[in-house]
Amino acid sequence: MRFLLRRLGLYALAAWVALTLNFFLPRLMPGDPATALFARFRGRLGPEALQALRETFGLTDAPLLGQYFIYIAHVFRGDLGISIAYFPASVSQVIGTGLVWTVFLAGSAVGISFAVGTLLGLASAWWRRGAMDTWLPSALVFVGAFPYFWLAMVALYVFGFLLGWFPLGHAYADDVVPEFSLSFLVDVARHAVLPVGTMVLATLGGWLLSMRNSMIAVLGSDYVNLARAKGLPPSQVALRYAGRNALLPSVTGFGMALGYVLGGSLLTEIVFSYPGQGYLLVQAVRNQDYPLMQGIFLVITLAVLGANWLVDLAYLWLDPRIRESTS
Amino acid sequence: MRPRAPAHPAARVAVLLLAFTGLACGRDRPPAPHGVLVVSQEQQASWSRNFNPLTTATAARWPTLAGVYEPLLVFNSVRSEYVPWLAIAHQWRDGNLTLRMTTRDSVLWSDGRPFTARDVAFTFGLLKRFPALDRRGVWGFLSGVRALDDRTVEFRFQREFIPGFDELAAQQIVPEHVWSKVADPVAFPNENPVATGPFTEVRVFRNQVYELGRNPRYWQHGLPRVEVLRFPAYPSNDRANLALVFDEVDWAGNFIPAIDRVYVGREPKFHRYWFPLTGSSIFLYPNTTHAPFDDARVRKALSMAIDRELLVDVALYRYSRPADATGLSDAYAAWRSSAVAARGDWVRHEVARANALLDSAGCRRGADGVRRAPDGTPLRYDILTVSGWSDWVRAAQVIARGLGAVGVEASVKTYDFSAWFQRVQEGRFDLSLGWSFEGPTPYLFYRWLMSSATVKPVGEASMGNWQRYGSPAADRALAAFEHEADPARQKVLAEELQRIFVEEAPAIPLYPNPSWAEYSTRRFEGFPSREDPFADPSPNKFDRGECLLVLTSLTPR
Amino acid sequence: MSASRAARATGVGVWLAAIRRDRKATAGAALLALFVLIAIVGPWLVGDPQALVGIPLQPPSPQHWLGTTGQGQDVLAQLVVGTRVSLAIGLAVGVAVVLVGALVGITAGFFGGRVDGLLSLLFNVFLVIPGLPLAIVIAAYLPAGPLTLGMVLVVTGWAWNARVVRAQTLAQRRRDFVAAAIVTGESNVRIITREILPTMTSLLVAQAIGSTVYAIGAQVGLEFLGLGDVSAVTWGTNLYWAQNDAALLTGAWWTFAPTGLCVALVGFGLTMLNSGVDEVANPRLQQERTWRAYLERRGATPSRSTPVVVDRD
Repeated sequence: MRFLLRRLGLYALAAWVALTLNFFLPRLMPGDPATALFARFRGRLGPEALQALRETFGLTDAPLLGQYFIYIAHVFRGDLGISIAYFPASVSQVIGTGLVWTVFLAGSAVGISFAVGTLLGLASAWWRRGAMDTWLPSALVFVGAFPYFWLAMVALYVFGFLLGWFPLGHAYADDVVPEFSLSFLVDVARHAVLPVGTMVLATLGGWLLSMRNSMIAVLGSDYVNLARAKGLPPSQVALRYAGRNALLPSVTGFGMALGYVLGGSLLTEIVFSYPGQGYLLVQAVRNQDYPLMQGIFLVITLAVLGANWLVDLAYLWLDPRIRESTS
Repeated sequence: MRPRAPAHPAARVAVLLLAFTGLACGRDRPPAPHGVLVVSQEQQASWSRNFNPLTTATAARWPTLAGVYEPLLVFNSVRSEYVPWLAIAHQWRDGNLTLRMTTRDSVLWSDGRPFTARDVAFTFGLLKRFPALDRRGVWGFLSGVRALDDRTVEFRFQREFIPGFDELAAQQIVPEHVWSKVADPVAFPNENPVATGPFTEVRVFRNQVYELGRNPRYWQHGLPRVEVLRFPAYPSNDRANLALVFDEVDWAGNFIPAIDRVYVGREPKFHRYWFPLTGSSIFLYPNTTHAPFDDARVRKALSMAIDRELLVDVALYRYSRPADATGLSDAYAAWRSSAVAARGDWVRHEVARANALLDSAGCRRGADGVRRAPDGTPLRYDILTVSGWSDWVRAAQVIARGLGAVGVEASVKTYDFSAWFQRVQEGRFDLSLGWSFEGPTPYLFYRWLMSSATVKPVGEASMGNWQRYGSPAADRALAAFEHEADPARQKVLAEELQRIFVEEAPAIPLYPNPSWAEYSTRRFEGFPSREDPFADPSPNKFDRGECLLVLTSLTPR
Repeated sequence: MSASRAARATGVGVWLAAIRRDRKATAGAALLALFVLIAIVGPWLVGDPQALVGIPLQPPSPQHWLGTTGQGQDVLAQLVVGTRVSLAIGLAVGVAVVLVGALVGITAGFFGGRVDGLLSLLFNVFLVIPGLPLAIVIAAYLPAGPLTLGMVLVVTGWAWNARVVRAQTLAQRRRDFVAAAIVTGESNVRIITREILPTMTSLLVAQAIGSTVYAIGAQVGLEFLGLGDVSAVTWGTNLYWAQNDAALLTGAWWTFAPTGLCVALVGFGLTMLNSGVDEVANPRLQQERTWRAYLERRGATPSRSTPVVVDRD
């Protein structure tokens, strides 16, 4: 329990650091959002409009520290402020359902990639120097070396543009009503194949190698040899004895990977115009929409911290040593 | 020893592949239902529900300004004429200090209440009470607005200011019976608009798509024939163009490279585009507050060093033409004097004459081939542009090469918009690309190019006239324009302004921006085209209501 | 065998030998050498990458081997010049990340106590804050350019290395010879540089390689979003412009395919090279190899299962 509490404390601290960075960073830089908004019009707005914009946002010159405390207090109330680019919508409204899609995209990509990659790594180590072990890790490492968004672009070009097998973007068709029905779920799956697929492809190699290496180490240990010598069925040795222990380093990596993949998913979303947080964040940055940017960054950070917490729970379940040492 | 281990991974891969192909079902992308026009104008990652026509133009969804709500008069930029809309007539009185407008009879708000001149007076009253809503700065010249009766509204002016009419005409009108109850109209999202326009019913609103249905009580009976407007959210031009090419979008206003091949070539029967050159003219602004740019000969020489043919080739895929010396785009076709334009020969690419002019201005070449100003400083400059605006960046590259050929060493420097805008506004630059201002008459255009009234000292932000050039001759002509309501006399003054501009070269015109418009005639007909140029075809022309002309002309096939 | 002695014996020769021994590492090193060569001499062989040399979006031809961009520039020239900048940033950031990580990690591990607590907290916090979003936010507010990009990547990338180095330092500190050095009153700096650092050479090299892969990938990603200096020629900005010029729409695969391939090849080469470094860094793998060689010399085939040579120390 102490282990979990300590981690929780760490996450709280991380959240605070993120919040603070988030607040001060944009305010230390030049430029104001009204001008950035003006940019989109490239002369199509009259010169009087800029003044009107400034008045609208009530850009304030209050002392920074005061603004900071107000900001923190508001965040605790769940009030992330008013978006500037989407004025007068509130940040939580703009972020709205988008977060679900990002989490769905990144979550399913990490989940699938972790499961498949770990199994492949286990198999690769078990049949070490077999046919699969000689080419698969290298091939996947090679694929993994491509930038996420590049794979996404190529996949979109080939399967969407040239072959027309998959939709060109969005999370579901414009005609489909989002509801809990089979047709909607199938539609969502159809739209998710390319983005999730490219992300899985890009990350598979890492999981495979991590599992393979730790599996090789575990397979050489005494207790596995003992298990073998006892004549236990190989599948039991592979999964129960070796696999479970070999999984530990990968699980530690899982939490880290989530943050990483979430970042990658932002880029992938942009390529597929997926209605998640990715483009929203980039747009917020370009428009100097501080509140929206802070909101998205905060929400993403909290999502990653939450996921890490879940990983900690999984770790606890997998590794009894921690349970014993801390109880 | 051959261990029996978990199912062979190949089997899993096979299952995955099967699922992959199962989800891919052929090329069929069902088109939108009959009567549903799919439009892509704003590029946003996700929609937020806002139909407030008075607040900042960016916050409200595109149809709000010209579709849901309507202005008093629509300006047709292709024909350079006003189309009576909610107002059907106007009259200047009291030595041009009062303007009376007659509003249209039998117009109903979408909730069934009648539209009257009182709604007009109320709307302008709101702008006065909430300066943040006064996007066009009308209260800078108005002193009062009141409804004389249900059909007449009277605007009183602080001073004689004829161009103010354009700003009044473009104002969208909101219903008094709804907005008088709104406590803070600035932050009012107006999710369920009550309006006079052709599309007022929000049918669907989700973060990746929304739809507007017809106004059942629209004043133009039998219109619109389009049943539903649908707006999918695309985060970037690129994504929107992809959808356009695949006929998932019927009408768009985006830049598309190599459009003949990319768009038209794909469906020559239906895919059309027309890019009238009615956008804002793009200029190279030399900072005239310091030498040698304070010398008209130097400015003209720089202009002659630019190969504008190459520039429009490289930067704009030939969608535009080199600007003439008046700088006027085709939106001012009726105002432009071809005789004056012909006299402005300093927009032709003539390296020898540019060299001669620079020599005569005392900028001689140094040993390294770079010219020196009369005071000895080498002519080495940055050309400022905005990062990410690829047409500008390319244009700047072409300009830099041209200037290099006449001994002016220029390098392209890209800034983020805010940083660029700040520098340009405060006059902290040598050379920069920039836009110009648009309006129904050339008044606004030339005012922000050479009126002394718009010159601010370096360091103080200025909305326009970034090159900080003031011409006494232009001041006189502009002042006369403000007092002139007679179109024929206005034309004479406009010609005078052009003559002054061509003579003094306060800035270097490059090319008029095209007004982007692509459309598919597969499902709808009635778009403006080169053959039938009844209006500007671009969905980007919403600020003065022009899109309404298109929206009310389209017919499903 | 003590890992410290093995590492102390490590010299350039050992590294080269390790790389030569491992087929993958050899391939990786060759690949990398090729790109470094391109980065060094390439820009002199191709023309000005910004020059407008032809009609935009021409497919590959004898004149322009990789075609032209949407602006009519030579793709090959941009690729080659981009290699120099991208590799330079990647390597510099890779090294910087390791330096920062090592500094923090060793300080924390060696001095322990409150210093350790504070620094550990710091890198643990940075580890859980998602890197790319943070990088986007920071990059957006600093003036665009290679220096900004490098700084952003270091800020978001050092934590993991620090954590690993700290663990390694803790392990080393408990060893007899370090304890002895402390007792004999050697200065901390000397202990760190003489006793602890050398045992970590291979770890640090492996980290530097890994960090370089990260730096190149992240740099390309940020530049693709337009957060770099878009008027510079790098791999990332090449992809940014390809996207900006609607490469997909126009079917101009040659504007983005070669760049992506180069990024992947460099990443792949580095990863393969790392497997060679692993041989030096990971004594277990080395021992296994000796064992296999031993068996093979005697005409025996090693079994499919892993040979067991357990190192107990």
